[in-house]
Amino acid sequence: MNADFGRVMLVVLFALIPIAGIALGMRAPALRSKIPLLVAFFAGLIPIFSMYIPKRFLSGDGGMSPRLDEWLIIVAGFALLLGITNVISNSYRKISRKERNWPYAIVLLVGLFTMGGFGIYGAVSHQGTGFLPDGSPTPFRWVETTVFQPLQSTIFALLAFFMASAAFRAFRARNTEATILLIAGAIVMIGRVPLIEFLAAPFPALQPAAASAGQFMGKATEWIMDVPNGAAQSGILIGAALGAASMAIRVILGIERGYLGLGKGE
Amino acid sequence: MFGRSCDFGGEKPVDTTTGGSLVSASVRLTASSLVVLTLLLCAAPAGAVAPVTTPPPPPELPAPTAFVAVDRPGDGGNAILLTWTDPAPLPEGTVLEVRRSEPPADEFGELQTVKPGAQRYVDASAEDGKTYRYELRVRGVETPDSLGIAGAVGPALVSDPVSPHDNWFRTERTNSLLAVLLFITFILTSIAAARSGKPIFIRRIAGLNAVDEAIGRATELGKKVLYIPGIQSMDEIQTIASIAILGHVARATARYGTDLDVPNKDPLTFVSAREAVHSAYLAEGRPDLYREEMVHYVTYDQFAYTAAVSAQMTREKPAAIFLVGYFFAESLILAETGQSTGAIQIAGQADPTQLPFFVATCDYTLIGEELYAASAYLSREPVLLGSMRGQDIAKAVLLAVGIIGIIAVSLGATWFVDLVRTQ
Amino acid sequence: MQAFFHRLLALDRRWIFLLVLISVTTPILVPIGLPVTTTSSTRNAFEYVEALKPGDLVWLSFDYGPSSAPENDPMAEAFLRQCFTKKVRVIITALYPLGGLGLANQAVAKVAAEFPEAKYGVDYINLGYKDGAAAVMRSLGQDITSAFPTDVNGRPVSEFPIMEGLRTIRQVQLVFTAATGLIGEYWITQVHAQFGTDVIIGPTAVSAPKYYAFINAGQLIGMLGGMKGAAEYEKLLAAKHEPLGKFYRSTADFTATKGMDGQTVLHGVILALIVMGNLAFFLTRGKKAGAA
Repeated sequence: MNADFGRVMLVVLFALIPIAGIALGMRAPALRSKIPLLVAFFAGLIPIFSMYIPKRFLSGDGGMSPRLDEWLIIVAGFALLLGITNVISNSYRKISRKERNWPYAIVLLVGLFTMGGFGIYGAVSHQGTGFLPDGSPTPFRWVETTVFQPLQSTIFALLAFFMASAAFRAFRARNTEATILLIAGAIVMIGRVPLIEFLAAPFPALQPAAASAGQFMGKATEWIMDVPNGAAQSGILIGAALGAASMAIRVILGIERGYLGLGKGE
Repeated sequence: MFGRSCDFGGEKPVDTTTGGSLVSASVRLTASSLVVLTLLLCAAPAGAVAPVTTPPPPPELPAPTAFVAVDRPGDGGNAILLTWTDPAPLPEGTVLEVRRSEPPADEFGELQTVKPGAQRYVDASAEDGKTYRYELRVRGVETPDSLGIAGAVGPALVSDPVSPHDNWFRTERTNSLLAVLLFITFILTSIAAARSGKPIFIRRIAGLNAVDEAIGRATELGKKVLYIPGIQSMDEIQTIASIAILGHVARATARYGTDLDVPNKDPLTFVSAREAVHSAYLAEGRPDLYREEMVHYVTYDQFAYTAAVSAQMTREKPAAIFLVGYFFAESLILAETGQSTGAIQIAGQADPTQLPFFVATCDYTLIGEELYAASAYLSREPVLLGSMRGQDIAKAVLLAVGIIGIIAVSLGATWFVDLVRTQ
Repeated sequence: MQAFFHRLLALDRRWIFLLVLISVTTPILVPIGLPVTTTSSTRNAFEYVEALKPGDLVWLSFDYGPSSAPENDPMAEAFLRQCFTKKVRVIITALYPLGGLGLANQAVAKVAAEFPEAKYGVDYINLGYKDGAAAVMRSLGQDITSAFPTDVNGRPVSEFPIMEGLRTIRQVQLVFTAATGLIGEYWITQVHAQFGTDVIIGPTAVSAPKYYAFINAGQLIGMLGGMKGAAEYEKLLAAKHEPLGKFYRSTADFTATKGMDGQTVLHGVILALIVMGNLAFFLTRGKKAGAA
């Protein structure tokens, strides 16, 4: 079994069988739901087999499993086209029906076509989307660094504000668990920064005590992060991993079908 | 001189057991020495006789033993495993020199030097289909020391011809395979038990009980339900779980006639979500209520998506918000914005990173594997409930192995850890 | 007084946002210069890199985007400075799709200008961006050149002395990943677990708690948790290598140490808000119970 065998098997499993299934499904509707389950079965089994079988046709360079990874990226690229088409059609509908806030739909389309146009121009002219030979940025890169990156950073910076408002509202000692959360959160917030030293800065006589207190809080923070937090994170990770494995087995065996929109008995 | 064999640069050593050879060798040696001595005496000035010194002969270096070259087992090829036993004792500063020959030249060239003690080397530059031979010998240090073993080499051992190839099984993953097979056995036997009619208990999960309550609230207020299926693609198992839950939510909104909105960040998730919602409305017999705009694509960028959905929440003020799937930094922005609109929020994520933010801002949070249990919990299908039971049995076994391991290691029985180690 | 606490409980969040804005921006305009204490996870990471010898090979991966640059940029720059000072050879890549490569190029250009004796292609190389993250990491265990056949400028990697004899990631001493999201975790599960290469991670602060489980399990050498971790690393670096201290004493450039001033003040403000909120909660709750 060599790489060619792997390539042929992939085409048979993920092209010929689905096409045959679609054709048969036109005659027998009950078959229509079976083909996606069959594709999911093989798509799930191949990476699992490649974990244990190091044969080159399966897990080596150009083997079935790495090729399947590449196919996923290609399929996602085509799905992106569907997404962009959806954005354009929804925006057009809003503009044509003059729905609420329809001018913003024009702004969205202008942004979409401008950046898309710069990107396509960069590819067609072989300039790329980085820097020109003389060191100046391409139009795509210029818009990315002056508009896109600052906007990204702005939205990310909102986290600081929302964290403060969420902490003010949620860290109330309503019950035992909430009190434990409050105390642990306060210790970690104090221990991670030199807050005590900062507060004692105007009082020189208190500074040695503040330094000791700061070190103690730092050690307490490390203990909280290492022991209770580490244990809880490990527990959740292990439980979630088992849950994910169980869900994966259900999907591969076709027991779980809700993600396909199929219900009980379908 | 007599009885000692001398190698004169390629000549065969003298056979000292034959008398005739002995006499002729002695004569030749005596004659050569006399010539040399005469030349020296003539050349040297009177009274200045330079001493004739020769370097001390290098001590003999020992050879390693049990040298074996085999295809490295359980790998994808292109590797040969060399093992041997170091000779003892080895002078200080010596190394083991590995040399390799391959056709067509068949000449040995230096490959690697290995420090004493390793007793193994993996040649990862071998190529499948080629046949190699390896040579192993001890080599002294380059800089001469007082013993004079500068660059000396010991006798070489040569391996049999060997060719690398890929294998059928990664032997280091045997434990992992056994664990997977055991896990699958637990799941399948529990499913079989569930199919036979055995009742399966599943504990109360508040967040899932609140799904109908949230949709009912939205129906009463005449506002929409907003469902955000995470920002990862369909290759992430949490997203698959989220789409399965979306199917249940869509059936409920179809049943009650509530408006549903599903904004998507990933294109594959968008396609799956659209299919799931459409199928749900068809299954409930309400295709008239389904609209294409219910499930829409926003953008692939994480924070642009966050900005768009947050703005949508602020404008449209949905009554119920579901944040179910795999979220990253945008989780708090979305949840806090949703909280500010007064909506009832149900969140769920298996990865623990963003859970603290959901717990602080949402009314109900599905933690860890509760997300994966949702499909079974909401549908109450015996087969799905059976798989949950199998999963719990596997977790109990894992806990038991962990506790036994802690006790074993505490008592010094580290072999237990090696027994259950997986890779 | 009761009225005050009632109003406090119903405080418009925009007042909180204003307080946050003032407490973060003031220390940036008027630096305080607060001390930084180090934690064991950062110290372990630092000591491991300090123990590397000249000529050792490490892999630095830029797995973050512009949104977390204030946290991750200082980590990557500090690590690069340490490597160049110790004459450790560095292979640089970017696996984060949106903006990772641009940040890698900026950081490398900045630090390389500080070390003119470091030669491109000999002491360090930038292999650029490759899509696929986990798939790329798996292929690094088989053949690095199949994932990165050229450097960031399109030249074949075989032309560069630093890549000579380098076939797989197993031959690299250490992977340092400055990461946001999942890609950092992939280095642990795909590279360390499969190929045994040691990993140090520099995640954003929000992801850092998760990685304590990996540290405790011995799957990570160390971790630089968020901006605090970066500030700790900068402190250790300046203490060990005095010439590098000049990069962290200047207030012109942004450094994690400088950013910690703002974080300290913000933590204080949030704690004060929490204390006041709880006071208001208990005092008004007691009043309500009394009235009922």
